[in-house]
Amino acid sequence: MTGAGASTIRVMVVDDHPIWREGVARDLTEAGFAVVATAGDGAAAVRIAAAARPEVVLMDLQLPGRSGVDATRAILAADPAARVLVLSASGEDADVLQAVKAGATGYLVKSASRDELVAAVRRAARGDAVFSPGLAGLVLGEFRRIAAGPDGTGPRLTEREIEILRLVAKGLSARQIADRLVLSHRTVQNHVQNTLSKLQLHNRVELTRYAIEQGLDADP
Amino acid sequence: MPGVRSGGDTPLWRAVVVFRLAALAYAGALILGTYHTYAHPSGGLVVLALMAGWTGLMTLASRFAWGRCWPLLAGDLAVAAALTLSSLWVQTYQQSHGGSVTLTTSWGAAPVLGAAVRGGPWAGAAAAGLLGSSTIATRQGITVSTAGSVVLLFLAGTVSGYVVRLVVRAERQLSAAARLEAATRERERLARGIHDGVLQVLTLVQRRGAELGGEVAELARLAGEQEVALRGLVAAPTPAEAGADPAGDGPAGDGPVDLCGLLAAERSSHVTLSTPASPVPLAPHAARELAAAVRAALDNVVRHAGASARAWVLVEDLGDEVVVSVRDDGPGIPPGRLDRAAAEGRLGVALSMRGRVRDLGGTVGVHSAPGEGTEVELRIPRAATR
Repeated sequence: MTGAGASTIRVMVVDDHPIWREGVARDLTEAGFAVVATAGDGAAAVRIAAAARPEVVLMDLQLPGRSGVDATRAILAADPAARVLVLSASGEDADVLQAVKAGATGYLVKSASRDELVAAVRRAARGDAVFSPGLAGLVLGEFRRIAAGPDGTGPRLTEREIEILRLVAKGLSARQIADRLVLSHRTVQNHVQNTLSKLQLHNRVELTRYAIEQGLDADP
Repeated sequence: MPGVRSGGDTPLWRAVVVFRLAALAYAGALILGTYHTYAHPSGGLVVLALMAGWTGLMTLASRFAWGRCWPLLAGDLAVAAALTLSSLWVQTYQQSHGGSVTLTTSWGAAPVLGAAVRGGPWAGAAAAGLLGSSTIATRQGITVSTAGSVVLLFLAGTVSGYVVRLVVRAERQLSAAARLEAATRERERLARGIHDGVLQVLTLVQRRGAELGGEVAELARLAGEQEVALRGLVAAPTPAEAGADPAGDGPAGDGPVDLCGLLAAERSSHVTLSTPASPVPLAPHAARELAAAVRAALDNVVRHAGASARAWVLVEDLGDEVVVSVRDDGPGIPPGRLDRAAAEGRLGVALSMRGRVRDLGGTVGVHSAPGEGTEVELRIPRAATR
């Protein structure tokens, strides 16, 4: 039922609800992924990820104790090659945006079908961004917020990137977008990926600037 | 008297008691020092005894609700006025007209304070007027010192009445804020419980059922709709959080309204809503009209593309304008059919949507092609809606 090579993808599932966690883990195992670990809270996720070294972490954001956003940041700091895919309920907009800025590679709503989930994990493992319409709306909004900020030095989206994100937010698939704009599927993916990279780079720059302002940077 | 309740004003009644005791001590010292010079020295002592007795009674009474009611306060006023007037008989003619103080002196101001605490500035002023008249009657004329003490009585009555009003209002706002906080905390607790249990199971039922197909898929769809509805319910901000005045003093709903909050209820298994993470504030009228136009557009989707069609709503805040796009994956509208429908008068919903948006100074764009679904774009200028 799955393509060859999927068995090599090591996945970890983080969710505080056991029924949900086991359900997702079973779906992924049946699809040929290796579910190497599960965790029920943020602190355990960070600890277990360090030992299990998953390639893709499916992360719920509403966790007891250490938040999903915080755990995402810690897991990626320990292993920058890991991909965190946020799997969260719709309507948790602010948290999703924070997780993506902290380095998450994409966002999938929990109501997504099994096929969508399997495809998303595979794309995340390849290093591609996984965009839902909701995430596209959040990223568009965040770039507009940065552009409206006091210093005009923040990153901007190109006209093409805005065009593509708007189409994603309006529910078009990458294939439909490629057809409509007469681009290759890969080019559309690259544009989407770029918006996320810009946002994450900007976030790191902001954090560093904040650390220097607060005198938290290490002495030379 | 409206607006004044017992409870928050207990410290104020205690202050009146303290004032009464201190004023009694002062009047007592004056009477004991000079009673031998009175026309009726024993009368002076009797008046002092009556003042002490009445002070004791009022001190006890002020602990209870009946000790703060109007009949007793009126009695208090009458006793103070009568004892003040008794100076006419007790003191000599020279004392009465030579500028020496009345027997009760500042003790007579206590009922004025009581009336002010009970009834506010006007009641305080009325009581001051009554006692002021008795003072003037006692002195049988208005001298500089009588005028001074009457003015002081008026000031004491009105100012303390005003302060009481402020205290009562502050107390009411504080308790409203406390109630709101308690309600918010309770809702957060419920939301956590629902999120951790019910929502997870509903989401799982929805996913599993959809894979099994058939009648189970229908049950799964219902579970999915309930999940979205319940999630919207536990996530919806209370009116106070949405920007209404927590004390309820101001007219509610004249501040900016978050368009995303108004549209959140439209989320369903068929409708995906994409918004910025931060609120999209609009003037209340504009926000409501725009939300109504979006609902009309979604109704249109169901009408023309069928109940199974999916729709996506994108909200964008461009600063000087707000753009809402509604797209469906229905069959789309063949070129020319919109014009034909308009000519046949079959565009009722679309027209109401256009009307609402045009009234806000905005525009409606419709893009459609067979096989590509239909996209409606609503643009509202923000400057015009302020």
